Amino acid sequence: MNLLTFVVLLPLIGGALLLLIPKQRGRFLVAALSSAATLAISIVIAREVMAKGAVAAQMAGWEAPFGITLIADGLSALMLVLSGVMGLLTVFFVDATLHAGPRRGYGSLLSRARELFGAQALFQFLFAGVNLSFVTGDVFNLYVAFELMLIASYGLLLLGGELPQLREGLKYVVINLVSSALFVAGAGLVYGLFGTLNMADIAMRAQLHGPDARITAVVMLLALVFATKTALFPFGFWLPNSYPVPMSAASAFFAAMLTKVGAYTLIRLFTLMFPEEVMIQQILLGLAGVTVLVAALGAVARHRWRHITSFINVASIAVVVAGVFSGTLAGRTASVYYLINSVLVIFALFLIAALAERLSGQNTLKQGHLALYPWMGVGYFIVMIAVAGLPPTSGFIGKFAVASALLGASGWVSAAAATAVILSGIVLVYAGVQVWVGYFWGDPGKLRRLELPRPMVLITTVAVGLVALLPLISGPVFELAGQIAQQLDGNEAYIQAVFPDGNPTLGGE
Amino acid sequence: MEIVLPLLIGLLIGGGVYLLLARALIRMIVGVSMITYGVNLSILMAGNGFATNSPPLLDLPGPYNDPLPMALILTAIVIGFGTTALLLVVAIKAFQVTNTDHVQELAEAPDPVLPPIGGFADPEQPSVSPEAGEPGDMTDDDEAGERSRELDPGNIDWSRE
Repeated sequence: MNLLTFVVLLPLIGGALLLLIPKQRGRFLVAALSSAATLAISIVIAREVMAKGAVAAQMAGWEAPFGITLIADGLSALMLVLSGVMGLLTVFFVDATLHAGPRRGYGSLLSRARELFGAQALFQFLFAGVNLSFVTGDVFNLYVAFELMLIASYGLLLLGGELPQLREGLKYVVINLVSSALFVAGAGLVYGLFGTLNMADIAMRAQLHGPDARITAVVMLLALVFATKTALFPFGFWLPNSYPVPMSAASAFFAAMLTKVGAYTLIRLFTLMFPEEVMIQQILLGLAGVTVLVAALGAVARHRWRHITSFINVASIAVVVAGVFSGTLAGRTASVYYLINSVLVIFALFLIAALAERLSGQNTLKQGHLALYPWMGVGYFIVMIAVAGLPPTSGFIGKFAVASALLGASGWVSAAAATAVILSGIVLVYAGVQVWVGYFWGDPGKLRRLELPRPMVLITTVAVGLVALLPLISGPVFELAGQIAQQLDGNEAYIQAVFPDGNPTLGGE
Repeated sequence: MEIVLPLLIGLLIGGGVYLLLARALIRMIVGVSMITYGVNLSILMAGNGFATNSPPLLDLPGPYNDPLPMALILTAIVIGFGTTALLLVVAIKAFQVTNTDHVQELAEAPDPVLPPIGGFADPEQPSVSPEAGEPGDMTDDDEAGERSRELDPGNIDWSRE
């Protein structure tokens, strides 16, 4: 039996079970067990991928390209492991937010209501959707994965029914429905053009077919959809306001993984399926450059915790996109490394925001917390310099690599994008300093020290620890990123895994 | 005959976009559904359109119709059905809370009241006004009851700027 199906099936079964369990303890145990098992399977898959290059599974034994293919290559395996780790931490954090906050019986009420009405189950469905979109090798199946993920995220975003949730949730749902409709249209047109939906098959056929205006049009449509999901500049207006409204664990997981799914699909679209569409890649590179700057400025303009972190998230994902579309191996390597960094850093930042919000509400303009909670200050400092890209953090290593790869690539767009990446670092430092001055510095005055729930602090410490650990193991991680980027160049291992005996439908052409 | 389908697709998507830009929530939802239907038809067109071949059953003589676009459309319809239902529920809830289905008024509905400096408001329940109850008063036992009373629209501060 192939393991690839289980990274999708396990969370689905776990989520269905969770709906049946009446006791909160039981729900937590099942959710934790299901997530831990998914993570374990992801790690086993990753080991197998490292040995073989790529592993594939043909659903119900239908040979590719006739059936649905699940496949994991280096990038998929990396994303699976990251999503597994983030998922496990999220499950624990949901449970941690149930503990009564600084004042008895107050901090946790809505969290408990949300947990009671199925937050853990929705998270499991979300993990299933996210994992499926990482392992699927079929365009329409990717759409299904997106929908699974999005429907779960609608639920999580709206759970609680507060006014801001309804207001932002409506925008989020409508935007995503429209972009999903465009995605289906794109998938249909791809089928009309190539007569297949299998990604590896499309890649081979597009290469044989050569340049064609119809292909460019379809790719443009798909790029528009994925750019919306990735929140690139003109399409990303929905993200910074909608991610702060759900429960804090959901905000953290959305920011850490959901936007990365968009980036992942962009990488697949342009490295595997249509690497020849250089013009669109240049446009996306330019948009990514603009996004980095605009989002960094947005972070400066906001003064609430999770609004600031959402903008930082957009800036961070745009750096990943910029690296990918530099078109060089060095750029892709840097991009994969920065992707790892981005997931860990953004997750930690959102958890710190959750702690801060527990203490003082959404507003950051209340001084004096450093004197009362020095360790939170330390954690925030580490994460924020990683976000801004200052040494010695992994953010510096990643941003430096992305910028130098962009400067090494040809064309003025990459040079401009590199400038934007470097400038955004300065702007983000300013955003970070604003929070530092507004929240941490100053005289505590009437504030007194409160006890945060221990589990929340513990999980945040783990998340910050991962951020602090990454620069120490950067050598091996960068090497790994290099191997993954190497695979994306040409994708021989990917195509070989899908078609071990060659593509049966291409014989006569 | 082949021209009918593209015209219909254009009409559905054009109408859908027009409705999407309307001010009433319910029109937006109808617009989204219309776009979905237009897209479904376009998948059919991308296959082999109005071809009148045999259905793909093995005991019928070929040439067969391509079943895959239909399978795709079926999946898309099911998903679209679910999301439209969800969207309707959200719209009803938004109407109940704000008493308007006008998009502009909904967008301008006031943000949660920021906690006063020095107070201990809970970020996880932002739209509850500070007057709704003193945080420390609640016992652990009747939290759910308290909570539902607090969530009652009557207790929420709707003062607008």
